[in-house]
Amino acid sequence: MSKKIWVHAEVVDDKIANVAFELLSKAHELAAAMGDGTEVEATLVGSGLEKEAARLAEWGAKTIYLADDPDLRMYSPLTFVPILAEVAATHRPDIYLFGATAIGSALGPAVAARLKTGTAAHCVDLRINEDKKLVALVPSFGGKVIGEILCPAQNPQMASIKPGIFTKKDPVPVPLRIEKLDSSVWKKLDTQGLKPVNVVRRPPQGLPLNEAEVVVCGGFGIGSQENWQLLEKLAQYLGGATACTRPAVDEGWSGEHCMVGTSGQSIRPKVYIGFGISGATHHICGMNESGIVISVNRDEEAPIFEVSDVRIVADVNSILPLLLDAVKPKASW
Amino acid sequence: MSYNVAVCVKPVPDPKHYDKVTIDPVKKTITRTGIPTLVNPVDKSAIEAGLQLREHYGGSVIVVSMAPPNADEILREVLAMGADEAYLLSDRAFGGADTLATSYTLYHGLKKIEAAKGYSFDFILCGSESADGATAQVSSQLGEWLGYPHLWNVFELEGTPGKEGGGEKETFSMKTKMENGYMEWTAHIPLVLGVAREIRKPRFTSIMGIMKAKNKPLTVWGRADLDAAEDTYLGLKGSPTQPGEIFSPDLKRSGELFTGTPEAIVGRVVTVLRSNGVVIGG
Amino acid sequence: MHFFEFTEEQKMLRKAIREFVEAEIAPKAAEWDEQDACPVDLMKKMGELGVNGIFVPEQYGGAGQGFVARAICLEEISRYSAGLGIAMMTHHMGPYPILLFGTEEQKKKYLPDLCSGKKIGGLAVTEPGGGSDFSGQKATGEKKDGGWVLNGRKCFITNSHIADVTVLTAKTGVDDKGRNKLSAFIVEKGTKGFEPGRKEHKLGLRGSVTGDVVLTDVTVPEDALLGKEGGGAKIGMEAIGEVGRAGMSAICVGILRGCVEEAVKFANERVVYGKPIAKLQAVQFEVAKIRADYEAARLLTYYAAGLKDAGIPCANEVATAKYVSTETAVASSKRLMDLMGGYGVINEYPVGRFLRDALASIPSGGTSHIMQIIMAANTLSGFQP
Repeated sequence: MSKKIWVHAEVVDDKIANVAFELLSKAHELAAAMGDGTEVEATLVGSGLEKEAARLAEWGAKTIYLADDPDLRMYSPLTFVPILAEVAATHRPDIYLFGATAIGSALGPAVAARLKTGTAAHCVDLRINEDKKLVALVPSFGGKVIGEILCPAQNPQMASIKPGIFTKKDPVPVPLRIEKLDSSVWKKLDTQGLKPVNVVRRPPQGLPLNEAEVVVCGGFGIGSQENWQLLEKLAQYLGGATACTRPAVDEGWSGEHCMVGTSGQSIRPKVYIGFGISGATHHICGMNESGIVISVNRDEEAPIFEVSDVRIVADVNSILPLLLDAVKPKASW
Repeated sequence: MSYNVAVCVKPVPDPKHYDKVTIDPVKKTITRTGIPTLVNPVDKSAIEAGLQLREHYGGSVIVVSMAPPNADEILREVLAMGADEAYLLSDRAFGGADTLATSYTLYHGLKKIEAAKGYSFDFILCGSESADGATAQVSSQLGEWLGYPHLWNVFELEGTPGKEGGGEKETFSMKTKMENGYMEWTAHIPLVLGVAREIRKPRFTSIMGIMKAKNKPLTVWGRADLDAAEDTYLGLKGSPTQPGEIFSPDLKRSGELFTGTPEAIVGRVVTVLRSNGVVIGG
Repeated sequence: MHFFEFTEEQKMLRKAIREFVEAEIAPKAAEWDEQDACPVDLMKKMGELGVNGIFVPEQYGGAGQGFVARAICLEEISRYSAGLGIAMMTHHMGPYPILLFGTEEQKKKYLPDLCSGKKIGGLAVTEPGGGSDFSGQKATGEKKDGGWVLNGRKCFITNSHIADVTVLTAKTGVDDKGRNKLSAFIVEKGTKGFEPGRKEHKLGLRGSVTGDVVLTDVTVPEDALLGKEGGGAKIGMEAIGEVGRAGMSAICVGILRGCVEEAVKFANERVVYGKPIAKLQAVQFEVAKIRADYEAARLLTYYAAGLKDAGIPCANEVATAKYVSTETAVASSKRLMDLMGGYGVINEYPVGRFLRDALASIPSGGTSHIMQIIMAANTLSGFQP
């Protein structure tokens, strides 16, 4: 029997979430490394998904294990966990990947617990070692340490990966093959204890600055209140927060509550994007522990560039509107 | 109706000092010298939620931790915050546990406490994730071991009384965080909840609380006390996942200069954002 | 000997207070200073933590701790806001004399609310004629219709505008030798004729209110008298001598710790000629001096507090601690300011505030000269090493 890599395809608003295709793309890479005709397959749970399932075949999922029922429209651990655990126990995949989304972060480890197997959380990369085992790279201590996690003795070797870590590559279509799961699996379950009621979508709200993973920061070089509003929109689109330097407060574009520096807040977001910031010491002290620093400034001598991963020597006006357009949310995801 | 609440807590190195975490190049171990240990920050929100359940409905709040023996100091602090009792599950046999083994040990600890107390827990609360490992897996896996419904990233929890005299149970409404929104739930006890920081703002510890904590029970249990637990699932040996190499990510600022047309630059920035985990167009 | 170490409870207490201070005080300290606004609501909230009644026994609603614990609280608060530090330390001078000299009824009436944060305390002794000319007080208390009528003006009174319960002293007669007899009274906010007067605009310790308290035919009942008639000097001196000065000393330990921590931060972060200035020996010398000042002030302050908790007379030790802590806080904040160059005088950094607060701490509870007079008297009357 050939080896199998599974991807659980998460459904959001009756559509397969992008992370599923990112994981399928990675799964093909892993399958190639495992060799011996390792196959990529997918699991899918929801309601009215037969059409959606075809998209998984476009990205090369050879078999799609589908549990489709109006009762399964919304996620619940009382249904999804036993369904996936049972189908995995039956077909015994070698590797099983989940998106580290709000649902996947709860579902993946619960399925692993049922299967008494191991799962690596929030991986930043995956590879196959010489023993044909999955090696997951997992950050800890706020990204200060990266550790390898293996699951040498049990299958499936499970892992969860945040959306956006892997790139969704070109489709590798295969003929559509759906294996419908028997509804008796979930019809017999007692689901009285916990019921999903509703899913409410709302535009991303401003996060407290020190909790935001993305911070868009503006300095004197922003130039105007109008540009400041573009900056806030950018932060909103990226699910982050805005920050500013002292001169931006003095100009009245922003308030002290989001000022970063020795007299303001110290932040350590994963991504810091600075526009029109010169990089005075007291500002740098407050942001130097950010994950990746992208800076846009007209002055190539600006000290901020010394602590930047990406230097863009340009006027704010030439970059900000374009970037805003590039990251604008699409109508559907 | 009163509720018995268990709160699982973890001592972690203070996240403010993670820049001091280094890797010993020879021993290949993580060095965290000089970093103070504290209660995992979001676990305090879980404790607060437990305390407020007790204040509202009556019942008890018992704190459980699987940790090295010196964690008793941290548990004393949690007692000072207002918990009634603390249990420390500590043994070399538990060491090196991954999330499956950790949740298994906690599960047996909880069962043992229930047996000693003669009641069963109605709520088992955990922080959504630990600051150090941040796997966020323990609450869901603990829910599975217990066979109870479990939710993760719960940021709202409200009770609605059941019908008077009708024998109907109180219904709890909850919200869990979702990408761009949230999900609403209704549930009955027992429940295992991984709670987000927003659920309740933890109270500050009072000096009176510190004095009271001196006389509150703090029980330490080892391997032998968890007699029902099987070695197969305990500690490093019972962990399906095993650690491999550890290393530091390269944190040097490369200072790469992006040149070209504004469109080309923006295109490259978007790629950088994506590769750093930023969800774009979502 | 026993070497100096906090008990387990004191360490927990310090951690708990520090957590509160870092969350609720640190982010706002600069604003309170800038606007000279006293965070009264926050002070009241600290009652729930046990800070307001830290040394009051539990039976009266206090935390049942002592003066070492109090110094810990004041050091932690003043690490970020010495202004709030002095407001809290002055509040303590309300419940302290009531606890020491009050009747059981007075204790039951006032202490629980002063501990819980429901009410803020204060002590009004100093008059325009000077604080250290204690017996020269001009405020008067006259017996009338089974009660007392109080008149006069007190000045430089911290918490003047926010105290709900003020302990004050007034002249109630003259003894056989013609010396003023002082008595102490407990006066509640809202009593007719008892009004705060002008509010001072201070150089430092801003965020605490300091001003006049004016007494115009204030009629109080007989049981407003605290302690014995004529016992006011002793009450005032005890409160100021061992509680007020010890408090100022702990406040300056907090300022000094701020100096150490800010010096470390700046020296590591400020890069000149390609390396952090912490690598320069000239800078290291300054950091070492600041550290030495902190350690010395800290040991003297907690030693004096320990004596107080042990019930050992400690007026000399408190005076020594106050003298050294306040003077070194001035010296070290100036030192830090010099070390920081231009940044030192920019208000985005707290060091300027440290210096102003340290300077303002010197006259509070008796100037360095007064401290030296106390220390000299104690030394010359029989120095026993």
